Amino acid sequence: MAGYVARRLLQAVPILIGVAVISFSLIYLAPGDPIDRFRTPTIRPEQLQGLIRLYGLDKPLPEQFWSWLTTYVQVWRPEAWGYSFLDGQPVLFKIADRLPATLLLGASALALTVVVAIPLGILAAVRQYSVADRLISSLATIGYAIPSFLLGLYLLFFGGVVLGWFPLFGMESFGREGDPLDIGWHLVLPVTSLAVQQIAGWSRYVRAAMLEVLHQDFVRTAHAKGLPARRVTFKHALRNALIPVITLIGLTIPSLLAGAAITEAIFTWPGVGLMGVDAVAQRDYPVVLAFVMIGGIGVVLGNLLADVAYAVADPRIKLG
Amino acid sequence: MAQLGTVAPRTFDEADADALDLTPVRTYWQLARRRFLRNRLAVVGLVVLAMLIVASLVIPAMTGDAWRTALLAKVNAPPEVGVNADGSLAFAPLGYSDIGQNVLARLAKATGTSLSIGFAAVVIIVGLGVSIGSVAGYFGGWVDNVLMRFVDIVLSLPGLFIILALVSFWGGGSIWVIIVAIGITSWTLAARLVRAEFLRLREVDYVHAARALGASPFRIMLRHMLPPAMAPIIVAATLGVADSVVIEAALSFLGFGISQPEASLGNMLTEARTYFFRNPMLVVWPGLVLVAIVMSASFLGDGLRDALDPRQR
Repeated sequence: MAGYVARRLLQAVPILIGVAVISFSLIYLAPGDPIDRFRTPTIRPEQLQGLIRLYGLDKPLPEQFWSWLTTYVQVWRPEAWGYSFLDGQPVLFKIADRLPATLLLGASALALTVVVAIPLGILAAVRQYSVADRLISSLATIGYAIPSFLLGLYLLFFGGVVLGWFPLFGMESFGREGDPLDIGWHLVLPVTSLAVQQIAGWSRYVRAAMLEVLHQDFVRTAHAKGLPARRVTFKHALRNALIPVITLIGLTIPSLLAGAAITEAIFTWPGVGLMGVDAVAQRDYPVVLAFVMIGGIGVVLGNLLADVAYAVADPRIKLG
Repeated sequence: MAQLGTVAPRTFDEADADALDLTPVRTYWQLARRRFLRNRLAVVGLVVLAMLIVASLVIPAMTGDAWRTALLAKVNAPPEVGVNADGSLAFAPLGYSDIGQNVLARLAKATGTSLSIGFAAVVIIVGLGVSIGSVAGYFGGWVDNVLMRFVDIVLSLPGLFIILALVSFWGGGSIWVIIVAIGITSWTLAARLVRAEFLRLREVDYVHAARALGASPFRIMLRHMLPPAMAPIIVAATLGVADSVVIEAALSFLGFGISQPEASLGNMLTEARTYFFRNPMLVVWPGLVLVAIVMSASFLGDGLRDALDPRQR
């Protein structure tokens, strides 16, 4: 297992370097540069030159990339991911500052997805073609078709503006910082808007996985030997049906991370996603690249988690 | 009465006619069309999409510049259908916006913009996906390895965020930059599907035969392998339209895409946000159109998959 994980992480290195090359060139080759906003009529040319030297923009692009990449891996140094063009803070500190909020949002959305989608999927499968199954399937179709940013906007208007039940922005109320109840209250709308599409996808997947298991011989045997239906469903069928579902957790993490950028922007949630969107608007290259790299690391780790979880849950699977 | 040992003479009856099966031989596409038309949701999806396309062409043609002309006299005016004082058509069943633009005309224009971006992006998605997927699948080996690692890299980019950065840095607001940004980041699914199909097809007898007869790889791929691989490509293209429309709407909603006076479902939503209390329906219409596009495209995609590839259910 440890050997497998080590080998997978080693294989991830070229992929992450590829992510770095592509995102670096797409961003740094773009017309215009981050110095543009300093180009006012009053700025002296030597000040401009100083800024260009300060940001290393005068060096050839491959050299910029190389120095960027080699410092990038030294995450134990605060300056490894560069300094924000905006406020001069080390990017690593800015990220460390913002990451907990994003992780809280993502983990809550994932938890809500698991808690809601698995029972719905089981119900739909056990009572196939019943009213409940049809209702769940229709709702899943609708939920899947509503883009999460649209849902976020509607939730904000309905729950925040019209009903006034939930806060309109942020993670904490002024004067109640750190109060878990207050944070939970702020979490409701963004988590719902992130989770609905996931719940829709997951419940379909759980239903399909459960149906496949329910049609297998050992389930019929369990019924035939007189076990109560509940026991067959939850003890025999569910445990097998959940094996493929476990891999979904790993595969959902990257999409939650990418979706967080928009959700955080809508709800002004103080996470890395909002920071990334702001950085794009302000051409804060180091922060933009940091978000892309975090996304890439998220995908690599998510896939690895999916495969390892699969092997842990199913002893028939041998990692090789 | 027939006696034992003799065969009773029989006349040709209906059962024989059934057994003969006089139904004409149907081609693959005829069978696919029959299967498709039997799927009610898929047909509904096709009809809704067709209606949206027609509306996005007809309404702007009918109302001229109303979609972007801001009329001071019509600010937040209620719905009207009639003739203006100067004899021109006043067709605004959804009323006027906060800056006096005809909402229905704007909605139709935005639908057109969104769908054009969706279709144009899909051209890139299919073009890249088919060429990369078919080369990887046909040649296999190290070519496949290199191309698939490239797919892994593109898949590891945080989708919507990288599009946001591309559009913002390479010329915000330009429709072409949006199309290219969506296209070059979203082709991986199409490439994987085509590769899988080609990996299967290259071991099929008639492909071996074509190769033995000296056909060039390009000819084999184009003439012998691409046609039977069309089913997953068409399905991926349908779903690609829906995804691209959503991405564009999200970009414009966040203020990185299309902006006034151009109309997009996303920027209509952003604008509607600011005058929500005076006219809450302005938030509803663009959202409704967006969901209608996504849902009908996904029904259409499901229907096409079942119709074109009956093995894959």
